[in-house]
Amino acid sequence: MDDVSDDLAARLAAGDAAALAEEHGLARIGSRPALGAYIRSLWSRRYFIGVLATSRAYARNQNTYLGQLWALLNPLLWAGVYLFVFGVLLDTSRGVDNFIGFLVIGVFMFRFTSSSVTAGAKAITSNLALVRSLHFPRALLPMSIVLAELATLVPAVLVLCVIVLITGEPLTWSWLLFPVAVIVQWVFNTGFSFILARLVAQARDLLNVLPFVLRGLMYTSGVFFSIDHYVGTGVLGSVLAYQPVAVYLTLARSCLLQDFPPDPLVWGFGVGWALLFAVGGFLFFWRAEEKYGRD
Amino acid sequence: MTDQKPLGEEIDFEPDVDPTDPAPKPGADLGGLSLIVDDVHVTYRVYGGRRAAASGDELSVVRRLLNRTNRHIGAVTEVKAIRGVSFVARHGEAIGIVGRNGSGKSTLLRAVAGLLPLSGGTVYISGEASLLGVNAALMKDLTGERNIMIGGLALGLTATEVRERYDEIVEFSGIGDAVNLPMKAYSSGMGARLRFAISSAARPDVLMVDEALATGDAEFRARSKQRIDEIREQAGTIFLVSHSLAAVRSMCSRVLWIDKGKLRMDGPVDEVCDAYQEFTRPRRPAR
Ligand SMILES: Nc1ncnc2c1ncn2[C@@H]1O[C@H](COP(=O)(O)OP(=O)(O)O)[C@@H](O)[C@H]1O
Ligand SMILES: [Mg+2]
Repeated sequence: MDDVSDDLAARLAAGDAAALAEEHGLARIGSRPALGAYIRSLWSRRYFIGVLATSRAYARNQNTYLGQLWALLNPLLWAGVYLFVFGVLLDTSRGVDNFIGFLVIGVFMFRFTSSSVTAGAKAITSNLALVRSLHFPRALLPMSIVLAELATLVPAVLVLCVIVLITGEPLTWSWLLFPVAVIVQWVFNTGFSFILARLVAQARDLLNVLPFVLRGLMYTSGVFFSIDHYVGTGVLGSVLAYQPVAVYLTLARSCLLQDFPPDPLVWGFGVGWALLFAVGGFLFFWRAEEKYGRD
Repeated sequence: MTDQKPLGEEIDFEPDVDPTDPAPKPGADLGGLSLIVDDVHVTYRVYGGRRAAASGDELSVVRRLLNRTNRHIGAVTEVKAIRGVSFVARHGEAIGIVGRNGSGKSTLLRAVAGLLPLSGGTVYISGEASLLGVNAALMKDLTGERNIMIGGLALGLTATEVRERYDEIVEFSGIGDAVNLPMKAYSSGMGARLRFAISSAARPDVLMVDEALATGDAEFRARSKQRIDEIREQAGTIFLVSHSLAAVRSMCSRVLWIDKGKLRMDGPVDEVCDAYQEFTRPRRPAR
């Protein structure tokens, strides 16, 4: 080593690194980026988020003979199973006129949230290799994963609309609000996934609890029965009816079914929950940005 | 990318080097500092395993029983992979990293590149460091064409940049029409070629090449070495982890020897390589 390096080494040993770095215009790494810079870098990577999402959705059906046709077949089969079990075997149709429409919307929109959240929770832990080899804002992972679920939902929504029309529902202006309801739910799903992705990154055990939470949510969100009818409108009924997942199911139904008139209160709750989870979840996720990838 | 196994190892690329190739020996023309690594520590947390207690004999039955349960419940072991490494690097320097398996070379590279959280110490860098390796971003079910886009974007290129370099990437990878097949249909050599072509399409300030394995044919290796040299000229600082001392001697001017997470030696390439060779020799079985 030459004298200059020896000199540098001595300064380093003397705890002079910060001054040395400043002298040479070096920036410290591994510190959490400022919120503004973080959002800007996410924005500049928005195209990447889209490409990851569509690739992920596409790759899912890529290994089969029927290929992308499964994007349509899969939701059709689900609808068939649920109609058979809850429409024919167990009759939970009390209090609902168009039970088929009610059930199919409930099942599809619930699956949208549950599969988004299940995949989003593993955003960091199942992409550790990626996190450990490339630089990018980590929030990009849950975002693209939930966006992939949205892409998967599109063919399912087509199936859903056709089924609902077949059951005799008229096409009304309120159908135009359905895409808006889907977007609001997607924003909520993304926010929820931010929270879970960080929690699971720090304690994987939560992944084992998540299926039970989701199953519980499924039975308490009015997926296949009317909360009003079975629980009533007391305190418990109201809590159940205005928790986020139930709100989004009601929202979707209010767009497509005559039975459920559009309700500003439900819209208010839907947008409110979405904003709360998206903003809160994003901040919560960002605050651990520098720690992802350790284990 | 979730649910998809990363394709192959990190970098399956090893420059085909001629040991007589003169190593670049930059002397006075070294630029300013590009990297300061100050007393860096990295600790991994490993779930589901615990090292056996240090002294087994004098433990009571109860303690032993507890220890045994500990190995199955709440078993989190801390692996101190890097324990206080400090060095500085300059622009235009090519630095080799040698050390036995598990000594912490990959960990050090990742920590210095800002990809692994440090448990202590600080790293200062000019610009951005990048690991030559895009595998983890690629999806084996999708075509090479699609993966070029995914990989390029993952490396931080814009979509336009990827489209501009698309032909160059395909041409450099030399896989021809196979670019329209899903990557799972590639031979390991073809995959390596495409991955290397994508990885080297981005030009970072500090480039890190981790452990290379020789895949691909001789022609491709020659092309790759050329590309590596090119990148080195632009990258400013290069780090090369390799088990091939010949590769290190031919490409690096300085070598860090990492042993059990500590910097054992830091100096000119020949000095350190000789010492390292001396150190490893007795470990080889005598013939
Ligand atoms: N993902 C990981 N989780 C836990 N421990 C790890 C992980 N990767 C490496 N280690 C540990 O860190 C140490 C250094 O590993 P590594 O940096 O890969 O060594 P090298 O690249 O020099 O072979 C080893 O003891 C290894 O067991
Ligand atoms: Mg290694």
